[in-house]
Amino acid sequence: MAQPQDSKRRINDKDAPLIEAINAGDTDRFYELVQRYQQPLFNFGLRICGQAADAEDMVQDTFLNVFRYLKTFRFESQFKNWLYRIAMSVCIKRRRRSKYAPERELSLEDFLPGDEQVAAEAPAWAREPLDRLLDEELTRRIEDAILALPETYRPVLVLRDLEGFSTEETAQILNLTPGNVKVRLHRARLFIREQLKEYFAHDRSRPA
Amino acid sequence: MTGADPPEHDPAHCREMFSHLSEYLDRELDEIACRQIERHLRHCDACRACCATLARTVALCQGMPPHAVPGDMAVRLREAIEKLRAGDRPAPAPHSD
Ligand SMILES: [Zn+2]
Repeated sequence: MAQPQDSKRRINDKDAPLIEAINAGDTDRFYELVQRYQQPLFNFGLRICGQAADAEDMVQDTFLNVFRYLKTFRFESQFKNWLYRIAMSVCIKRRRRSKYAPERELSLEDFLPGDEQVAAEAPAWAREPLDRLLDEELTRRIEDAILALPETYRPVLVLRDLEGFSTEETAQILNLTPGNVKVRLHRARLFIREQLKEYFAHDRSRPA
Repeated sequence: MTGADPPEHDPAHCREMFSHLSEYLDRELDEIACRQIERHLRHCDACRACCATLARTVALCQGMPPHAVPGDMAVRLREAIEKLRAGDRPAPAPHSD
């Protein structure tokens, strides 16, 4: 079973040299790893749990676990994916301790285009330049919409559309099949789209 | 746009298209499926509008600005890590397995 470890690993992982140095004993350099990932991880935590304090706790627990288990990391995936896997399990553990909104299923039927919304053209908000659209208010609305997503769907959307992970990577991080990721992502997006439709129909007062 | 509806217009077909719109936007479908969807979109106003707003929803999510990390988070993080490191160091004895 003597596997040629070196040929298998380091799938272009930019973190590999740093991790090897840390694992070889240069533990001071762990802070470089922290430096690299604290910002994206904090953001991820914030998108998932909504509170800065919770997000920070999650970041701390995650890095402590990474510190404990870095020696067991085998470069079988990108370090970043492994990191987010740990972050997710920290989130799940924390969630069990608190009372969260009840889980519910998002059904495709709820989002099917009905006859009543048939318009010859897409609405203005689908055509306006993005940077003109995405102001502070809309940003907040989208954040709220993401937080309103049931737990089953939120991490999928956050990882795919906000953190930029691929379907495969998201599947790996969340222990799902790629097919499952796609189904959940689609419903999550449709859910957000509904909130945006509402927002643009009622709340967005100023004309395009 | 009524009259001789092409078969794409039946609701079951719409539903089928609709369930794959995200994969279509993410370019995760093969060419045949892609072309099927594009043909459907040309004929179906409802699905076309839906596709446009869905694409825009995705673009908006992708364009979300990141939040700044709290100023003192790094300090607290370092404290916690140092505590762990101190606990990990089993005195200055060299480990000789
Ligand atoms: Zn259709």
